[in-house]
Amino acid sequence: MLENSQLGIMQERTSILEVVNLQVNRSNSVVIEDANFTVHRGDYVGMVGPNGGGKTTLILALLHILPKTKGTIRLFGQDIESFSNWEKVAYVPQHAINFDPHFPLSVRELVALGRVNRSNLGRTLKREDWASVDEVLEFMGISDAAERRIGQLSGGQKQRVFVAKALVRNPEIILLDEPIVGVDAETQEKFYKKLSDLNVERGITILLVTHDLTAVFCRMSKVMCINRLVNVSEINADLKPEEVLRKAYGEHFHFVFHEHKCRRVFEDE
Amino acid sequence: MNINAGGFSKMNELMDIFRLFGFQFFQNALLGGTIAALTCAWVGLFLILRKEAMIGDGIAHTAFGGIALGLFLGVNPILTALLVAVLAVLGISYMRRKGLAQSDSAIAVMLAVGFSAGLIIISLAGGFNVELFSFLFGSILTIDQTDLIIVSILGISTILVLGIFYKELLSITFDEEGARLMGIPVRWLSLAFNLLVAFTIVLSIKVIGVILVVALLVLPGLSALQLNLSFKGTTLAAVCFGVVSMTTGILLSAIYNVATSGVIVFTAAAIFIFTATYRKLE
Repeated sequence: MLENSQLGIMQERTSILEVVNLQVNRSNSVVIEDANFTVHRGDYVGMVGPNGGGKTTLILALLHILPKTKGTIRLFGQDIESFSNWEKVAYVPQHAINFDPHFPLSVRELVALGRVNRSNLGRTLKREDWASVDEVLEFMGISDAAERRIGQLSGGQKQRVFVAKALVRNPEIILLDEPIVGVDAETQEKFYKKLSDLNVERGITILLVTHDLTAVFCRMSKVMCINRLVNVSEINADLKPEEVLRKAYGEHFHFVFHEHKCRRVFEDE
Repeated sequence: MNINAGGFSKMNELMDIFRLFGFQFFQNALLGGTIAALTCAWVGLFLILRKEAMIGDGIAHTAFGGIALGLFLGVNPILTALLVAVLAVLGISYMRRKGLAQSDSAIAVMLAVGFSAGLIIISLAGGFNVELFSFLFGSILTIDQTDLIIVSILGISTILVLGIFYKELLSITFDEEGARLMGIPVRWLSLAFNLLVAFTIVLSIKVIGVILVVALLVLPGLSALQLNLSFKGTTLAAVCFGVVSMTTGILLSAIYNVATSGVIVFTAAAIFIFTATYRKLE
């Protein structure tokens, strides 16, 4: 008989995403080579690596937007080629916030688009859909801006609106591709805090592409280094960040960590 | 009809305007015009946001070939224009999908081929006639019962499909890749939308003419966009502006005996200038 705590651990370690011998080519050149890793339920994974290293390519392949060249991707235990339960997967693209600022959408309307999927094709959104929209707006702290036009929002608000749009479908895993480019440090910090809340309070598995190494090593459970090859490490007291990062970035890089910021992050919370 | 001629008193003029509503041709014009304006404004707003406004102009000019064919064969020209417009939409979609041409080049190719087909047919028929001119520049006051039935069927089916797939089309327009990821059948809905564009243009040809139909598609939506409203608000404003431009244009042209399509476009342009000024002053 397994103890309850052991059962808990087993549930926690349920794999959501399994990648085996994955190769992805773009324009006939290899961008991701022989990637092997597993993401478990509740993981908070920081995806780092130099520009052009293949982070976005890997995300697009995991979402089945780009075709894989070789290997296997399994989402929720199902091969990606036959996977159809995309409601469980949410994605915030790299340039989500760079939309046409004159596009006539209110924040509430944009977030509601997150509820539009194959299952309600041709039907109007129901009262419970709008209730979910309002609940997510509340959780992300943007209820006050619900009726504002999306083009009138600040950079930080836009990020939260797009995460709200991804969240409103109640996903089990969310992939974010550099959603915090071009905003100030304080807004970034608040954004990371919100993602941590999502991960801890709602048990949502998060994969986040970022260049903020301090945030990765202070807040996340795993670091995925991507530079053609993919290397995943658990973040714990024994992990030496520099060693891990050198594999992705090479020997000539100098990494700066702000450990005092790490302390501050947790003290603030 | 020149109501103004002969120095009527103001009261008589007003009575004459009211009397106009009693005529079948005027009722047909108002009803057909309202359906066309409503459909054009709604479809046009999506076209503006998809940055494809010129597809409207391209398909309208291509449909000219269909009109010439209809007149040549003695078939209702709206039906042959519909056939050619649908073929043009399918042709543009095919060229884009197969990478043969970008959107604007594909539209240019179709426009040129359709229009020149029209010219060849006209020359075979022995030159332009009055009816052909009415399709080029619109002839809303000559809409008969058959035209009205065709306009109503096309208009109501377009409005129904837009109403049913409103949220999916908005999702595709805002973020096509995201919509695809949500399982929305982007390719089929985009094709369906382009067919609705063909329907809308063909139903508007008799109302405003091949050359000016793009104005009815673009101006109401563009005016509504100046008001910084939500999507729902912008759609309602665009439809209102379209219908107001149409009815005002028909009335003014009847009173002052000038080209209806020209007055409709001028009214729509005046609304645009008004809303753009309002935005600047805000």
